[in-house]
Amino acid sequence: MTDQIREQVSALLDGELPPDEVGLLVRRMERNRELRGAFGRYSLIGETLRAPGGLVASPAFAARVSAAIDAPQGVQPGLRRPAASARARWGRPAFAAAIAASFALIAVIAVQPFAGREAAVVAAHTAAAPSGSALGGEASPTPARSQRLAGYLVAHSQFSSPIVRQNVWSGLLAADPGLSRVSYETVEGP
Amino acid sequence: MRRAAAWLTATVLMVAAGTASASPEEARQWLERMSEALATRNYEGLFTHSTATQSESMRIVHRVEDGYSLERLVSLDGSGREIIRTREEVHVYLPDRHVVLVEPRSDAGSLLKALPTPATHLEACYELAVHKGGKLLGREVRVVDIRPRDAMRYGYRLWLDAETAMPLRSVVGEGAGEGQPVEQIQFTRLDIKARIPDKDIEPSVDATGFQWIRMGRNAALVQMPGAGWAPLHLPPGFRLVASRLQLLPGSPVPAQHLIFSDGMAAISVFIEPGPATGPSPPESSTMGSANAFSTSVQGHVVTVVGEVPAATLREVAASVVPLQGGSSAAPASRP
Repeated sequence: MTDQIREQVSALLDGELPPDEVGLLVRRMERNRELRGAFGRYSLIGETLRAPGGLVASPAFAARVSAAIDAPQGVQPGLRRPAASARARWGRPAFAAAIAASFALIAVIAVQPFAGREAAVVAAHTAAAPSGSALGGEASPTPARSQRLAGYLVAHSQFSSPIVRQNVWSGLLAADPGLSRVSYETVEGP
Repeated sequence: MRRAAAWLTATVLMVAAGTASASPEEARQWLERMSEALATRNYEGLFTHSTATQSESMRIVHRVEDGYSLERLVSLDGSGREIIRTREEVHVYLPDRHVVLVEPRSDAGSLLKALPTPATHLEACYELAVHKGGKLLGREVRVVDIRPRDAMRYGYRLWLDAETAMPLRSVVGEGAGEGQPVEQIQFTRLDIKARIPDKDIEPSVDATGFQWIRMGRNAALVQMPGAGWAPLHLPPGFRLVASRLQLLPGSPVPAQHLIFSDGMAAISVFIEPGPATGPSPPESSTMGSANAFSTSVQGHVVTVVGEVPAATLREVAASVVPLQGGSSAAPASRP
């Protein structure tokens, strides 16, 4: 594991990782057991250092995080219905809240089917974000999601005027900033 | 002295006439000329496509053959993506995904059918104006402003070659593009050609081993259960121009596809059965001036796509409902 990835993990736990890097790191974690373990250790260290009143988490904390990641599909974590959150959901929440959100995030990754993972990731993440607007978060979409968005655009552009179609197609061909920055939104619960 | 004053007055009037906006009718004529030029001329050009976050170089090649408009658009930076428009289909090469999307052309047929002309009701939604605009690429240009009459759609400023009416630059944004642009295209080279060789409109991507995903219409498609949805509210001036069943990547079940236009921008509404796993969180994405917004409505996924502000799409999506009796009907456009 490189220093750069360590820094990314640390930034994720601090709530400071840019949204478009979250998806990449999450996928990397899915594939890399060592990285998942490091995430758990970092979480433990953070919790130990910053827990209110100096409370120390149990020694098995990191192991439980890794176990959550490896949990079989079908175990649904209890996700809070997120409150309306600010678009800048990465804005420095209290560390404990960031930790809680991050663990919810990882647990969700472990139990969601692939197609729904990133939406769930951000939904979970935004659960701990401060309230504000309805926008929940951003993440890299799955290839399937990108293709689907491209499909919508191509079907739509058939009915655009030539000058507008040139814009739409150029946007589609560009190094997809939009396609890689899908916002997953959350809504206020009843 | 009197003669000098008359000369001065005449000069001022001439200068004013050269820079002031001409009538909306003249602007409309320039738009019609532009549409005709884009559809009927052979051309090849390089342009820069810019949004708020990035700028990318593109190459476009356009050839008219037996009344059909054939086209190739290539990203010269990074992704290497290409779009090829053949006589029958549109092919989107996504080498970064190892995928080719294939969509039947919707304007297959005569040149006249393919010739888009500004809708007659365009001026109900936009203020049109045209004025002289100096030079671009060494050519005299006319600047056409298409200013929206409300905030529910974007405005456009187009720099058209005074001789051919080909667009050399376009800006999309609020107002008529005077503010912060949402998207712009600036040609750095544009050649009108008598002939475009075959090789210039063929893809350069080696698609061996790529997944080919066929979308679009299929005669074998059966009307999906629950078809017959529509938005109850649309921005003023948007009218239903087409309705069809549409296959999309990743789903064997066709979506109901409704297309609305105000004469400049279009809004597509896709309605498809929702996933068995239950409703997903709403999602939105932005690609230049095009936005997309998906949400769940009564067990279905409603996706709205269009070259209008994201807030407009949300409002349209929020009003989509199944129609009584399950048949499609034109929705109400807000007064």
